[in-house]
Amino acid sequence: MDFKEISTRLKIAKKNIKVIEEKKGGSNATSFGKALKISTELVSAVVVGSTIGFLLDNWFDTKPLLIISFFFIGVAAGILNVFRSAKAMQKNLEK
Amino acid sequence: MTLNPMHQFEVYKIGPEINIGGVNLSFTNASLFMMISAILILSLLFFGTKKKSLIPSKIQLITEMSYTFIGKMINDTAGSSAKAFFPFVFTLFMFVLFCNMVGMFPYSFTVTSQIIVTFMLASVIFVAVTIIGFIKHGIKYLEIFVPKGVPLVLLPIIVIIEIISYLSRPVSLSVRLFANMLAGHTMLKVFGGFVISLGILGGWLPLGFSVALTGLEILVAFLQAYVFAILTCIYLNDALNLHH
Repeated sequence: MDFKEISTRLKIAKKNIKVIEEKKGGSNATSFGKALKISTELVSAVVVGSTIGFLLDNWFDTKPLLIISFFFIGVAAGILNVFRSAKAMQKNLEK
Repeated sequence: MTLNPMHQFEVYKIGPEINIGGVNLSFTNASLFMMISAILILSLLFFGTKKKSLIPSKIQLITEMSYTFIGKMINDTAGSSAKAFFPFVFTLFMFVLFCNMVGMFPYSFTVTSQIIVTFMLASVIFVAVTIIGFIKHGIKYLEIFVPKGVPLVLLPIIVIIEIISYLSRPVSLSVRLFANMLAGHTMLKVFGGFVISLGILGGWLPLGFSVALTGLEILVAFLQAYVFAILTCIYLNDALNLHH
């Protein structure tokens, strides 16, 4: 087996790897990382929503109104986060 | 003898107080341990790549393993187009990992148990990812706030929910790392305090727990660095490939 043959073989193998990698196209997180992601995601969205509501309340002088509505929007965003992570996990499992 | 489990998280300054323009820039124990971590990383990479032998020594093996570990992680989660961000993710991972691990030594200080440190790291990631998304896709990047197939009536509220969900990323990223390190180290200190207060007769059980918890904490230290890096990759993937 001479040097030329090896280099052509290597080229073909590298090409094959590239094709496989392109097929995958990213978005393939380990489910363990995602599981840890879920726990804080729900809480943080609520915190961010409430904070935005609080700031807007101070700004527009509409004291309890916006913080209440943004709290619920934050809850919705948190559930959306969790739902999305769970869906991605399921997609990984099915593969 | 102090038995306060929160005492270990106290930040105090070392040396003279430096005040520049009303901003306190004194050198603290947090800065010291950040520098220790950075020097450890630099020396590991320096000595690991110094002698590039075909059969690697142990230190070279560690260096090469961490390189391939992060390289593979970026490739798997964010696709091959994210390869350009390898230095960024690698630096983040190594810094968080070494800060966590240095914090496992007795009498040391855990930098990542300070929320300001983790929040700063997470904000840098958040801002960088947003800028990358806008550079890559222009104004079309805003499409991530508008999911497909939503009725027009619901659109305003959905967009607000999506924006809050996007803004919650740095918060969840930083709080996760900070809370894990804080809780773990507090628990270790509490069990350590039990050993002293129960004395030679009853102290053996909490001592055993302490040993087990130390093992668990080392796992958590690694895992949190891993999660931090992999979430950076996921956010990069969202910014580069524009779909979720």
